Amino acid sequence: MESTVPPAPAAALPTPAPAAEVVLTVAGISKSFGDNHVLKDFSLTLRRGENVVVLGKSGSGKSVLIKCIIGLLKPDAGTITVLGQPVATLSHVALDALRAKVGFLFQSNALYDSMTVRENLLFPLRRHWLADHQGQEDQLVLQALDDVGLPQTIDQLPAELSGGQRKRIALARTLIVPPEIILYDEPTTGLDPVTAREIDQLIRHVQQKYHASSLIISHDMSCVRLTSDRVILLSEGRSYAEGTYAELLASTDPIVHAFFE
Amino acid sequence: MPTASHHIRLALFVLAGLACLAATLVLLGQRQNLFGSSLAVQADFRNVSGLLTGNNVRLAGITVGTVKEINILNDSTVRVMMHLNRDVQPYVRKNAVASVGTDGLVGNTIVNLTAVAAPAPLIAEGDVLRTTTPPAIDEMLATLSISNKNLVGITEDLHQITGKLNDSRALWQLLGDQKVAANVRQTLRHAASATATLQASANDIGHLTRGIRQGRGPAGYLLTDKEFAKQLRHTTRQLARSSDTLAGTLGSLQQQVQSGNGPLHTLLTDTAMSGQLRQTLGHVEQGTDGFNQNMEALKHNFLLRGYFRKQAKRKAKAAAQ
Amino acid sequence: MPPVLPTPPCCPLISPATPMPASTFFTEFRAMTGFTGRFFREGFRPRYEWLELLNQCYAIGYQSLPLVGITSFIMGLVLTLRLRPTMVQFGATSWIPVMVGLTIIQELGPIITGLMVAGKVGSSIGAELGSMRVSEQIDAMEVSGTNPFKYLVVTRILAATLMVPILTLLADAVGLGACYLGINLQGVTSVALFTNNILGRLTFGEVLPAVVKTFFFGFAIGLIGCYKGYHASKGTQGVGVAANSAVVLSSLMIFLLDLVAVGVSTAFGLI
Repeated sequence: MESTVPPAPAAALPTPAPAAEVVLTVAGISKSFGDNHVLKDFSLTLRRGENVVVLGKSGSGKSVLIKCIIGLLKPDAGTITVLGQPVATLSHVALDALRAKVGFLFQSNALYDSMTVRENLLFPLRRHWLADHQGQEDQLVLQALDDVGLPQTIDQLPAELSGGQRKRIALARTLIVPPEIILYDEPTTGLDPVTAREIDQLIRHVQQKYHASSLIISHDMSCVRLTSDRVILLSEGRSYAEGTYAELLASTDPIVHAFFE
Repeated sequence: MPTASHHIRLALFVLAGLACLAATLVLLGQRQNLFGSSLAVQADFRNVSGLLTGNNVRLAGITVGTVKEINILNDSTVRVMMHLNRDVQPYVRKNAVASVGTDGLVGNTIVNLTAVAAPAPLIAEGDVLRTTTPPAIDEMLATLSISNKNLVGITEDLHQITGKLNDSRALWQLLGDQKVAANVRQTLRHAASATATLQASANDIGHLTRGIRQGRGPAGYLLTDKEFAKQLRHTTRQLARSSDTLAGTLGSLQQQVQSGNGPLHTLLTDTAMSGQLRQTLGHVEQGTDGFNQNMEALKHNFLLRGYFRKQAKRKAKAAAQ
Repeated sequence: MPPVLPTPPCCPLISPATPMPASTFFTEFRAMTGFTGRFFREGFRPRYEWLELLNQCYAIGYQSLPLVGITSFIMGLVLTLRLRPTMVQFGATSWIPVMVGLTIIQELGPIITGLMVAGKVGSSIGAELGSMRVSEQIDAMEVSGTNPFKYLVVTRILAATLMVPILTLLADAVGLGACYLGINLQGVTSVALFTNNILGRLTFGEVLPAVVKTFFFGFAIGLIGCYKGYHASKGTQGVGVAANSAVVLSSLMIFLLDLVAVGVSTAFGLI
């Protein structure tokens, strides 16, 4: 059930041309765990080069949404199309090939504890690209670390890094196989405001550098403001409101308004 | 994480483990003759006393092969298939006798091959060997017990005989010859004392068999009770000595009475007394025969075998000197 | 905060400290059977994670060697020294190598290795996979184009299955060496006599089942550790429970398997 959003104020952030190609379509998906109906008939579209933020309360099913998109969970109903391919019906091989084009930044970073930063970055590289880039591996690792500003950590273990550094390394790991779509699961949660802003800038930087589309799950309003081209408010499993940050900020709807206080 | 040195160490570790396994298998295989060429022979037993495949086959105490298969042919026959090493073929003949035994008192069951001192062709593939069944421990104990009962009977007989001879006043009166009479009396005294000793021995053996039956089994008994071993040795010694004395006594008595000279002989030949005396002596003779048989049986008894063997050796030594 | 990740409905979390109701036991059993089935379905199809398998073999096998070696050395020595007075009473000191050898090769070696590996490796697998599950590393692997079941579970189960027998063989060797040492502390025997004493009594029927059962020990340790870790619930407590119940269950399983091994050996007439 989508509410009509009041007309946007003049000072909205620039949105990409509506004509841009749709890279991700979520059409009417539902997902429930037992009696807990997390998603009910939820839909969204993501266009090339666009940053969309899905905003919602804790436990509103945001993480479930992106896990469905990447194929870690299967929706009970509805279809998800990523880069023109229906995720739910893909074979393992095709799904792996698709996943090579989609980056996923986990909320908990999910860095492999037993591996150094270099090995963490090499892991998806070797898995996705196999034998192709043998000679360039080191170069690609260094470049990815440069992108996130942490080249000096290459031989450290994740446990030796700070929370912000870990988040950056995780982002570097997401970027090392250049993605067309990046899914961010609460990228700034658990970070101090300063580090969180750095991560937000990094997300913008990545968007510009790689011309990737991003789907960002967040409930951090600063993050939403800084990274979003478009915002979708997820409430009770449905897409409740949609618009730019400024449009939603101006909304008088009590539920929408509650997020912006 | 993955480094070459790790992989080398892992390889060494795996190789060491496999080497242990290989060494065990090769050593066991050599012993069980898996890898050498072998000669299959068979033997039919009535009872294999818990023989298992893989148990050893021995010739003169040397392991020469293993048991490969055990099959029940019918309710009283078990066929045992054995593999013998090829290199012992020149030493085993067709008439060798197989028996099931144990390696020591508490060891594994084994098959013993015993050569027979008679000419026969060498053993060949598929031959069926003759078998014997050595007495089981139970049977040995039964034999020992019977021997003992016999022993008691004999001593009683002897006692009666010597008593009769002693009490027979007519005989002594008739024996005019003082020297002969003294001789006879002395031998009778010997006989009497031998009888007493025998009775004691019989008691000891009774004690022995009872002890074994009630106790911890023959092995435990023999291994633990040093006192018992000493006692056993003493008993057997007594038995042997009594046997010698009795034989001597009776020999001289017979000699004196039957081939004697003078009035004694004359009188004895034609009186009723003489008949009675002959009969008595006959009894005594029978008694000693029986006794000797029993001694023989005892000698074959596994528990006492060692002692008698030693005794025989000592005698042989003495004879040689 | 994150939405609650679904615990797979078939595999509820069981704390080993609380007695489990029969129904839970059977669901757990069914889930574990399914897990085993998945191992056989996925484990023998490409792609094979050889490098990770070698790494796991190194971690599970080679790195457990000191622990297993020390325990079996001590057991061999202690057993020999304890047995000696009794055997002296029976005048059967020459039977010590056979008795200790048989005990070590048939039972103590496999059991001690199994228990030590269950303690060391079972818990670490449970905790490692548990924390990887909790911190989404398993999901990350899947997203990175890797089948985490193959990469994490199959390699660990295979490594445990292959390494426990090798550890056991080495543990046997160390234990027998300790026995030899123990005998020579209070008496004298030569290596040749010692080995002849042991090998003279052993048959293939006694050695092979003891080796074969260790494969099952290893399989059980790997399987249970992976199952518990792979299905750990959210939170650090879930990791602890996974590690703990992996050790408890795999130790118990080793004894059960040992019992089964005796039964099977008897049924085949090997004992």
